[in-house]
Amino acid sequence: MSQRFNSRFLRFGKYAVHAASITVRFMCFAHMYNRHVAEISLCMGPSMLPTFNMTGDIILADHISGYFSEPEIGDVVVCISPHAPGRAVLKRVVGTPRDSVCFDVTEKERKYVNVPDGHLWLSGDNMSNSNDSRTYGPVPMGLLRGRVVARLWPEFQILRNPLKQVSLTEYFK
Amino acid sequence: MGIFGRLRASPYTIPTLKALSWVPVVLFVLENGVSPSKVEGRSMQPTLNPDSNQMKRDIVLLNKWSATSHSFQRGQVVVLTSPTNPKRQITKRIIALQGDTVKLRQGTEKVYVPKGHCWVEGDEGFHSNDSNLFGPVPISLISSIVTHVIWPPSRFGPVEVNGIESKRVTLGFIPPDSDDDYCW
Repeated sequence: MSQRFNSRFLRFGKYAVHAASITVRFMCFAHMYNRHVAEISLCMGPSMLPTFNMTGDIILADHISGYFSEPEIGDVVVCISPHAPGRAVLKRVVGTPRDSVCFDVTEKERKYVNVPDGHLWLSGDNMSNSNDSRTYGPVPMGLLRGRVVARLWPEFQILRNPLKQVSLTEYFK
Repeated sequence: MGIFGRLRASPYTIPTLKALSWVPVVLFVLENGVSPSKVEGRSMQPTLNPDSNQMKRDIVLLNKWSATSHSFQRGQVVVLTSPTNPKRQITKRIIALQGDTVKLRQGTEKVYVPKGHCWVEGDEGFHSNDSNLFGPVPISLISSIVTHVIWPPSRFGPVEVNGIESKRVTLGFIPPDSDDDYCW
C-alpha cells in the first residue's frame, strides 16, 4: 500500500519538476525575446498626443534594429528616463549626435544646442505637457531600449517615420 | 530523404534541441544574475588591473541582480554603459549620488548631481575618462556592481566599497517628489 503511494508521489514529483523546467525555459526565452527582439507593451501618458492615446495604447516595440542601425530623426523610441531610473518613456528622436537642435520650439526666442557624441535629443509630440530633453538635456544612447514599430490597439497602424529630408534650396524656395 | 526527414530520423536531433532550449536560461542568468568579466584599461588602478605593463588583465565577478533595484552606495565599483560611446562598458567607482555637490578633480568648479544621476570616477585620476569629463551620469546606465576579483588568485577577494574623498563631496538629499510615480 505504501509502496504504491510512494511511487505515485515520485511520479507526481517527476512530473512537477519536468513542468517547472519547461516553465523556466519558456519564461527565460520569452524574457530574452522581449528584451532583444520585439516586445508588446502598454503605454500611457499625455506626452505623445496625438500620436498615442493618453489613456493607454498597446504598441509593438522592436529592439533588434538597435543592433544593426542607429535611430533616425523622427523615430519614436522607448528609452529609460534619466530622472527616474527604471521607468521607460516613449519619445520622438529630434536630434542625433553632432546635430544642432533648437532647444525649445515653443519659445519665442530660439536657442540652439549641440547634441554631443553618443547622445540623442528627445521630444514628446505634445510639447505643452512633456518631460523630455528640454527638462533633462541630451539623453545617452545607452538608455535606449527600442524603437516603436506599430500601434496594435485601439487602432492598428504601422508607425512610419513621418519626416522627409528636404534640401536647403528646396526649403528656401 | 529530404533534410527534415533526415533530421527527424536522426537520434541526435531531440537531445540537441533539448540542450538548445536551455540556452536562453543560461543567457538570462548571465545577463541578469552574476557573470564573470575581464577588465581592460588602467582607470581603476590600483584596485583593478594594477599591472602597469598592461600584460595581465583582471577577471572580476559582476552582480547584475543587485543593480536592478537602482539603489547604490557611494564607494561601490560599478560597470556602466559609457555615455560617450554606447557600445562600450566602463568600470568606475560611484563617488556621489543624486543631490550631492562634487568639486572637480582639477580646479575649483563645483557640480550638482541632479535627480536620477550619479558621479563616477576612476581610482586612477590621470588615466580615467569619467564624470570629470562627461559630467553626472544617469543611474540607469549602470548595469552591474563589481563584487569580487576572481583572477589572478593572488588578489582573489571582494572589491572594497570605499575610497571616496569626503573632502570633495558635499552630501545632499533629494526628497521623493510627489509625481515620482508618473513619468511622461
